Amino acid sequence: MGGSVNVKRVIGRVVSFIIKIGILFAVIYPFVWLVLSSLKFEQDIVQYPPKLWPNQFTFTQYIRVWSKLPMFTMFKNTLLFSASVTVSNCLLCAMGGYAFARIEFRGRKLLFVLILMTMMIPFQIIMIPLYILEHMIGILDTFWGLILPRLTWPFAIYLMRSFFISLPKNLEEAGRIDGASEYRIFWQIMLPLCKAAMITVGIMTFTNNWNDLVYPLLLTNSVTMRTLSAGLAMFVGQRIIEYGATLAASMISLIPLLAAFLFMQKYFVKGIALSGMKI
Amino acid sequence: MFKNIRSYFQRTETAAWVLLFPSLLCLTIFLFIPLIMSFGLAFFDVTIFLKQFKFVGLDNFIELLQDDRFWNALGNTVYFTIMVVPCGILFSLAVALFVQGNSLFQRFLRVSYYVPVICSMTAMGIVWAVLMDPTIGMFAFWIRQLGFENVQLLKDPNLAMPLIAAMTIWKTFGQNMIILVAGLQAIPDEYYDASMIDGANKWKQFFHITLPSLIPTLGFCVTTSTISSFMVFDQTYVMTRGGPLFRTETLAQYVYTRGFVISPFRLGYASSVAFVLFIVIAAISIAMYYFFTKKETEGL
Repeated sequence: MGGSVNVKRVIGRVVSFIIKIGILFAVIYPFVWLVLSSLKFEQDIVQYPPKLWPNQFTFTQYIRVWSKLPMFTMFKNTLLFSASVTVSNCLLCAMGGYAFARIEFRGRKLLFVLILMTMMIPFQIIMIPLYILEHMIGILDTFWGLILPRLTWPFAIYLMRSFFISLPKNLEEAGRIDGASEYRIFWQIMLPLCKAAMITVGIMTFTNNWNDLVYPLLLTNSVTMRTLSAGLAMFVGQRIIEYGATLAASMISLIPLLAAFLFMQKYFVKGIALSGMKI
Repeated sequence: MFKNIRSYFQRTETAAWVLLFPSLLCLTIFLFIPLIMSFGLAFFDVTIFLKQFKFVGLDNFIELLQDDRFWNALGNTVYFTIMVVPCGILFSLAVALFVQGNSLFQRFLRVSYYVPVICSMTAMGIVWAVLMDPTIGMFAFWIRQLGFENVQLLKDPNLAMPLIAAMTIWKTFGQNMIILVAGLQAIPDEYYDASMIDGANKWKQFFHITLPSLIPTLGFCVTTSTISSFMVFDQTYVMTRGGPLFRTETLAQYVYTRGFVISPFRLGYASSVAFVLFIVIAAISIAMYYFFTKKETEGL
């Protein structure tokens, strides 16, 4: 009797192990394939039957891609756009979240509900009016046009608020008794405490904007303003003609985030895990 | 006078508004104003060149009702959602149950399964499109090895959408998995201990403790996944551009196509499509909110 329970348990363990490794294989395979294919010559990529391992390793695709696509411009645009939006989000959302969490003011509840509701508005709804608005202001197809609408992010305000609420109540009291202004309390006492929350928000913002497609696709149309996502999507649009260059370009667009993920997975996962919690 | 202004800015309540001001300004200009504009725009006839705004009342909506391409896009979007949301959530939940522990191996698996989530849909779409290419793709080759000769995959009108749905689940299941693992870990161990004493087996525990405790989290996952499925754009744009035979054209893509891709770039008409998309998403969000709060209070 006891023996059969043990056998059952061992079988269960083995089955669950196989399932886990199977999923791991399915998740990792396309990445392995991408890395290896981007190191092949064009004729090896299109050979039949396809082979995973290159006949001969080469960096040609990574060299060719710079002349095939405006890679440098696209990379610079994406970096500039994502980085500025990230810095601004960290600061503005910390300010907003702090105000909602720690200061009593008239209309606070109503305003916060309003902010929460904006999180539900899909981009596709405001896409056309935003285009018209930017055209009227004259910032369409410029960095300002990309950056200004993304200076703040309701979801990050919400995350920051949850963070500030969780801090002990009497933190700012000491500052108030010492006669420090509200701004000084925020800047010198509260802001240094929310470094971890800011990294979480920063990583989410950076990832979202780095990967975003519709938004830059809509608000830019000259080749010199394209981001990596938008530029690549345009490039493959009709049909993939140059496999090697396309794959190398995809790889280049993935490397910064994958590298960041390798060193800071904790922060990547934290924001997502928090989003499902009722705080 | 100067002193008065100073002391006004020093007041606690003023400080809150000062801190909120940049965010509120940005949201007002780039979110609230466009939102209000979007409701109005659907009643106008205007092209991308913004030459003249002509009020046409309900004409756009009347045209919409007879527009086959709109109904096709709506149908495709619903079809995609029906495949992605239930299958995706069930898969994420199953995986979450497998990797919810805190051993090094399980943590490693969680992090690995999350990798596709941080990658851009554009790059992943390109990779999958090449893997599924009928002539040179690795997946197509494997399927041929299994004995299916006529492999069209993404070029097959009947298979394109299910394949994009499968790719979407592959790309996104890690996100719901992480949220569900957080939900699972928040269930107090005492619940399980108590039921062990009562002699409940694993299945009973799952249906009487795990699932009921997880309802708020599941509700969150279902709602957010449904909303993002209804807005699906990136995958279909990169992998098929809405083809073959418009079988993967989604509502969001139709808005974009009408407004910015095919002449005469009718922004007013595209807005009316966006308006419908908004109504559908709002209705779904509200319905799900009530459904899951009800479930939460009365149990399964």
